[in-house]
Amino acid sequence: MIEDRELDTWREQWSSVAEPPADFQRNVHQKIKRQDRRFVLGNFLTVIAFLGILIFALYMRRQSSWMGTGWATGICVLVFVAAGCRVWALRRTWRPETQSTRAFVELWHKRVTARIRLIRISIYLSLGWIIFCAVLTAANWGTIGQDVRALPKDWIALLAVCVLMQPVLLWYGAVWFRRRKLAELSEVEKILDEMDGKSVQ
Amino acid sequence: MSERRHDLEAQFDRILSEHGAAISRLAFSYEALASVREELVQEIALAIWQALAHFRGECSERTFVYRIAHNRGLSHVWKRRPPHQPLDEIEESDQPIDPRPHPEEQVAQTDQRMRLMSAIQSLPVTHRQMIVLMLEGLSHAQMAEVLGITENNVAVRLNRARKMLKDATEERP
Repeated sequence: MIEDRELDTWREQWSSVAEPPADFQRNVHQKIKRQDRRFVLGNFLTVIAFLGILIFALYMRRQSSWMGTGWATGICVLVFVAAGCRVWALRRTWRPETQSTRAFVELWHKRVTARIRLIRISIYLSLGWIIFCAVLTAANWGTIGQDVRALPKDWIALLAVCVLMQPVLLWYGAVWFRRRKLAELSEVEKILDEMDGKSVQ
Repeated sequence: MSERRHDLEAQFDRILSEHGAAISRLAFSYEALASVREELVQEIALAIWQALAHFRGECSERTFVYRIAHNRGLSHVWKRRPPHQPLDEIEESDQPIDPRPHPEEQVAQTDQRMRLMSAIQSLPVTHRQMIVLMLEGLSHAQMAEVLGITENNVAVRLNRARKMLKDATEERP
């Protein structure tokens, strides 16, 4: 057998590098419990939020006006379309961690590109929602117009905060998130290149 | 508590006892700062717990643990850019206690160890993984299984990684 003293020395140094902290296992078990609680709470809040939106939609529907019906339909469509898009865009990107490192990085790449695609879909959905709100308002201008004329300052403030700020916030949010994801994509591609031996020598 | 969960917890505790030290060492290659590294070690353990219910023995338990640990390490490197802190930031208490009595020898060994760690942390992430698996004593076949590459590829890349590590340790004062 060939003696590899360099490797033996490295291994000796390496094996004395670090030991897990004394209360390691206890801390991990506490973390698992906290995570379980968060999981239950998260699911509970999601169900509550979903039911809340449906109840709000029903309430609006009972207003028996075009506005109420429009809001109710719009909110339901938006919630289901958004949830559907998210599930579709992120399909086949779960549970990567037990795979080999190569498969994990490939899946990571897929996951980041899916997120970038999701940003584009979200922008289209949000624009659709803004247009829908504008059309709904125009269709009900007869009712809304009287209010606007009675309280012009309040309506202008509402218009500025709720309507005009939406595209601005949406734009900056999307740009910020997209930039982050593109940086992540470039990092993942760099790791994939390293794995293929392209960039490291 | 269900019997299934009880069995999983027992298996999980055994894995942590058997591989806890290896997980800590592996985390060392991804994070130099002790407090953050402790968090990383816990995250790896948590990921093992989450994956354990789906583990059907397709690979050895050791491979399973190293895969998860490396994958978590990679995500950690991305989340915490710049990827490594200088080793000066390692807390004193983090250094293992050397039972040998000569302080000069202890200092020299600690220096060598720190030089090795610093050199490993300076390697590109994929080379770092190869080196860590080699130091952990995995065979080429096991390394190939963890990393998802062929054994031939492992041999070629390991040579390159070893050379880089050697250069890096020699460069360090």
